Amino acid sequence: MAAWTCGVLLYRGARVLAGRTGAGRTGAGAAGDSCLFQSVRTVKTTTWWEEHLTEDNKSYMRKSLGEEYNRQIAAKLHPLKDEPWPRQEWTKGSRRVGLVAVKLGMAPVWTKTGERHVVTMLQVQDCHVLKYLSEEEYDGHTAALVVGGKNASPFYKTDEEMEMFRLAGVPPKQKVTTFKVSDNAIIKPGIYTHHHHQTSIGKGFQGVMKRYGFKGQPASHGQTKTHRRPGASGPGGDPAKVFKGKKMPGMMGNVFDTAHGLKVWRVNTRYNVIYVHGSVPGHKNCLLKVRDTNLPTYVEKNINPPFPTFFFEEDEQLPEDLYDEDLFIHTQPSLTL
Amino acid sequence: MRRLAQGECDDGKPTKFTPPPKPVIIDKTQSEASLRKFLSPEFIPPRQRINPLKFSIERKDMIQRRKVLNIPEFYVGSVLAVTMADPHASGKTNRFMGICIQRGGHGLGATFVLRNIIDGQGVEICYEMYSPRLQQLEVLKLEKRLDNNLMYLRDALPEYSTVNLDMKPVPHSVTGDVPVNKTRVRMRPKPWSKRWERPKYNVQGIRFDLCLSPEKLEHAQTWAEPWREYDMLKEYDTTALEERILKEVQTEMSK
Repeated sequence: MAAWTCGVLLYRGARVLAGRTGAGRTGAGAAGDSCLFQSVRTVKTTTWWEEHLTEDNKSYMRKSLGEEYNRQIAAKLHPLKDEPWPRQEWTKGSRRVGLVAVKLGMAPVWTKTGERHVVTMLQVQDCHVLKYLSEEEYDGHTAALVVGGKNASPFYKTDEEMEMFRLAGVPPKQKVTTFKVSDNAIIKPGIYTHHHHQTSIGKGFQGVMKRYGFKGQPASHGQTKTHRRPGASGPGGDPAKVFKGKKMPGMMGNVFDTAHGLKVWRVNTRYNVIYVHGSVPGHKNCLLKVRDTNLPTYVEKNINPPFPTFFFEEDEQLPEDLYDEDLFIHTQPSLTL
Repeated sequence: MRRLAQGECDDGKPTKFTPPPKPVIIDKTQSEASLRKFLSPEFIPPRQRINPLKFSIERKDMIQRRKVLNIPEFYVGSVLAVTMADPHASGKTNRFMGICIQRGGHGLGATFVLRNIIDGQGVEICYEMYSPRLQQLEVLKLEKRLDNNLMYLRDALPEYSTVNLDMKPVPHSVTGDVPVNKTRVRMRPKPWSKRWERPKYNVQGIRFDLCLSPEKLEHAQTWAEPWREYDMLKEYDTTALEERILKEVQTEMSK
């Protein structure tokens, strides 16, 4: 409503303006009229959620929503009470659902032979399954599960987005992604995907990179003409054209990038942190998609994982840290090579 | 029966004088309040937009490692001896001692560089404090210097970087202030690896009057940036953070 009225006002205001200019300069009247239609913008002047609330109401809204989401999360921690969909066994070639994680930072890690590697720490914060899309709905080939990541405030989400979260019974999420999943891995929406689901080795990731600007060309020329120009653009008279896909200056970054086949060194069950080998695209505190690898070298190692995901049994106590067998744990005495 | 002369034993052969072992005095009279409070600089997180949870997880690992390997208190300018596991050395360990010239890194990747001159060749080794290959860290001499970074010793006369390999540990007190060594070092003739006279390095421990003329010193001051000390965006006050982390580390270590 606010948007519509504003549009009308602008139109009227613009009309008035045209009228004034028309009175001023008769020649410009027609030009002013045509400019009118081209320059109408839809200006939305919606209010933000706390603009018209009193202080007490604001704090009440925040507190009540926080409590409600805590209750929702606590309810979803034990999905076994909720008649989940039937769990099926792992078969070769089935794909599990992935996770959404936050990149915390990097740290060094040592193996039992004394080699040093670097790991990225990814924390899984409130990863819930939101929706199930069957094959026909998704793309006709595989089923998909929509998974959400970190919790976010509901005040800045549109109503359509909030609808999905309401149906799943889950607090609104900052990042919502889909994972392609084989049929026997479908999980009922609302299930909390636990990081323990990913104890196997080898993951694939996605992240959004910051923009870099122009990419330019590798600077491995011997000449000293000008250092950042592209140089030649291809062979001479025989093709007499520039090949498609020639590297030229252009937009770089701000695309989804994947790091494949990264080994998981350690999992911390208390804080839900996964320690993953090497670096991962994205800045600190960015949200990533984590899934099992499809790379042929790691397929044998991923046999028989917790499938379709790790369900928390009522009395089971997990050890606080799960380590890879080659990793040096700091409680052990110093190495004697 | 004849009296045994000094340096003779019963069968008349000269004995080597073995000094009696020094008594180890454990001073339980000093209370905890008088002990020097020291928080290793790698515990202090740098000013970045990183989740503090990451630092606390790293700190737990660091404390676990410190319970196994004793990492003593030391500063830049102290003399340390490090024993490291080495598969290619005889006895599987190698021992190196030298002056600590730099302490860098944060968290588990903290490093320190030891410098010594062996057979006329200057040697610097950068050790990672939390590497599992380190087996023993001893502080032979605990002292501070006028600077936080002694990289200029590379351009100084070799006598300032040599540490005697047979050096015995010098006892230091656990209370009170750390002794500050105010030696100002004589340099080799220029060119140096870095222009140490420039104010960005803020070197107090070099005798510039012996190697540079006053005009050159004045010319070096043209690179001074006197407005930097008033830059409010660069302020990073860590006192509250340090106290909290120190308390946490002390409680964890005493468990």
